[in-house]
Amino acid sequence: MSATAIRDLRVPGDRTPGHAWPWRGLLLPLALVVLWQVWGMVSGNVRTPLPTRVLAAAGALIASGDLFSGITQSLGRVFAGFAVASLIAIPLGLAMGASRAVERNVDPLVESFRPIAAIAILPLAILWLGTGTAAAVMIVAYAAFFPIVINTIAGAKRVDPTLLRAAATMGLGKLKTLRTVVVPAALPAIGVGLRIGMGVAWTAIVAAELAVGAKAGGGATGGIGQMMFVYYAYSIELNRIVVCMIAVGLVALALDRLIRLGMRLLMPWLPR
Amino acid sequence: MTAKAGARLPTPLVYLRTMAVFIVVWALVARWTGNVALLPSPLAVIDALVDLVRDMELFVHAGISFGRMLISVTLASALAIPLGLLMGLSRTLDAVVDPTIEVLRPISGIAWIPLALFIFGIGNALPVFIMTYTAFFPIVLGTVAGVRSVDRRLIDAARTMGVSYRTIITRVVVPAALPSLLVALRLGLASSWTAVVAAELIGAPSGLGYAVEWYRELLMTPQVMSFIAVIGLLGYVSDRAVRALATRFTPWAVETRADA
Amino acid sequence: MTGAKMRDRHAPDPLSAHPVKLRLDGVGKRFDTGAAATVAVSDFTLDVRQGEFLVIVGPSGCGKTTVLNVLAGLEQPTTGSVTIDGRSIRGPGPDRGVMFQDYALFPWHTVWGNVEFGLRHGPAGEGLDATARQKRVRSYVDLVGLGGAETKYPHQLSGGMRQRVALARLMANEPEVLLMDEPLAALDAQTRLILQDELLRIWGQDRPATERRTVVFITHAIDEAVFLADRVAVMTTHPGRLKAVIDVELPRPRGDATRALPQFPSLCQHIWSLIRDEAYRATVT
Repeated sequence: MSATAIRDLRVPGDRTPGHAWPWRGLLLPLALVVLWQVWGMVSGNVRTPLPTRVLAAAGALIASGDLFSGITQSLGRVFAGFAVASLIAIPLGLAMGASRAVERNVDPLVESFRPIAAIAILPLAILWLGTGTAAAVMIVAYAAFFPIVINTIAGAKRVDPTLLRAAATMGLGKLKTLRTVVVPAALPAIGVGLRIGMGVAWTAIVAAELAVGAKAGGGATGGIGQMMFVYYAYSIELNRIVVCMIAVGLVALALDRLIRLGMRLLMPWLPR
Repeated sequence: MTAKAGARLPTPLVYLRTMAVFIVVWALVARWTGNVALLPSPLAVIDALVDLVRDMELFVHAGISFGRMLISVTLASALAIPLGLLMGLSRTLDAVVDPTIEVLRPISGIAWIPLALFIFGIGNALPVFIMTYTAFFPIVLGTVAGVRSVDRRLIDAARTMGVSYRTIITRVVVPAALPSLLVALRLGLASSWTAVVAAELIGAPSGLGYAVEWYRELLMTPQVMSFIAVIGLLGYVSDRAVRALATRFTPWAVETRADA
Repeated sequence: MTGAKMRDRHAPDPLSAHPVKLRLDGVGKRFDTGAAATVAVSDFTLDVRQGEFLVIVGPSGCGKTTVLNVLAGLEQPTTGSVTIDGRSIRGPGPDRGVMFQDYALFPWHTVWGNVEFGLRHGPAGEGLDATARQKRVRSYVDLVGLGGAETKYPHQLSGGMRQRVALARLMANEPEVLLMDEPLAALDAQTRLILQDELLRIWGQDRPATERRTVVFITHAIDEAVFLADRVAVMTTHPGRLKAVIDVELPRPRGDATRALPQFPSLCQHIWSLIRDEAYRATVT
């Protein structure tokens, strides 16, 4: 390693900012985008998605309202599935975290199904519920269930035992302790579970809609995943596919921020 | 929450009891609905499983999917681990590369499938590409976090002993970051295993995901369930394997023993 | 050992005239951890009088926390008995309030919420309507000197402030006995000195002895023990045993001047001589 490189090597945790160009984060993405554009123009294929064409396609999709309706379709299913998962997973997780007996009896089921990804269940869901929204919601709920329940259990278990002892010395019974101490103490962990669950839910819905689109051939499901598949299989609009991909990424970010905000509002006592 | 010394039944027995209850309930519901295509009985599923094992079909598909996963995780690690180490050590590199990673990460591997289908077509390359992409992010970010989480005081201690930067990196940072790295590897493995099913379901002519979908179209639900069970089993087994590796190579780290 | 005995100017009668509040009789505690069994405490017999400030000192691992836990009802003794006012202690309860080493404040409650907690959710608050509860919380928040900080969360408080909150929460339940497990251990030396004064003030060292609550206090620090206590119980380890009980005949109210008295260092030295060997052994085994 050259002398300059070693000097630049910061030991982890070093606070010194170094030569801070605030914009150096944009270097790489910009370079890649430019490269992409140039390569595309040079290769001359009309179909190739290019940044310029992608932007144009984005404009078209937004203007026609298709992008918006696709996203809202998918979001509706995600929220529905997420709600179902939370309503089951949080109480169950608290019960399992608080009671060794409950945990030992229920855990085998949870751990047996956990390695089976939601997508693997999709064919079963379609078999049972058809290719519509019901199956999609089921997949989303299944996917979100596991991170939520697992993190809730961990949160309930990791309550500082001194806090529990403090409650005992103040004469609180088990149920009261659960409600007034375990639940608030487990909230940060539950929040983590909800964030991960939301991320998984969004990925699951896109995958489910893609898969349904691929097999059911552009049926009545709609949603952004389906849109992507249609643009691949039917109209071969690669630029539109890229627009949808970017939209998927943006919505994922937005959902994550949403949950984080919700958690911050719910837990005003945490330090920033 | 009193921890009574010695629970009433040992845990493996409780496990069996719960699963037995589950299977009995399943059998009853299956009998009540009476539709084999909708909900086959547990026996029908076992039958199908045995057949699939006997004519090796199970192993062929399982082997293909597992093979794809191994290739993908290896590829992803080969890219992600060195990059993650460098990013964790160099603020500059991190500042340059991280935004790009953060922009691409929310676009899940699944979302790449249509575009990738166009580029690679249906075949082996598609699942491997998707799985490598999916595994890349948790591994690189976990490596960065692992490097950053190295206790500053360990490094200071080494510095006060006059050790060179290079030695610090190889002898202090890497071992200290190893537990987090292995956790990251587990996560990468798990995500890419999820992606394998999706990728094969949509765009591959072989593998477990493909098999699940194939049998669904034939309404042969017992087989569908058999393959789903195998997917779960392999996912569990590979996770355990990495955990065993972690315990073997980083016995000092408690976090590798925690359930992710 | 000590110099001239000086009488507590507020106590017309010595402590021995007060009734026995807590009685530990032959208390032993044994932990069966897997293969080996550890005897944490063995044959511990001590009477604690009403209104007394008793401090237990000893080297690390001598079982003093176990004794406290037995008094608190958080642990059951394997041998012997422990009673309060003659009644057997079977479990924890607000009559024996506990202050823990790391304060155990609920991070999701403000200062006010923490102090109010036992009154709101526990038996100590039964029969108190909201107004009465507010009044009591207010009085204890003010007593510990935190008026004005009621809406702060624990993470916004300094160590000394957290300790005050823990104390207020403990006292708001108006327990008959206060059990304190090294409450000042996490503070820096200067804050400790301040809070020792505050502790005595809040306990009521300026008031007549009959108005004070019974305190059992655990510490490592011998000077702290001598400063605070009416009596010091010295424990030794392996197994944890009561070695000696020392009367601390320093006048109350105590303050900085107390530490300048000649009896103070000589008492400290005496206690230290009782446990020095054990403390040394603890650093080499």
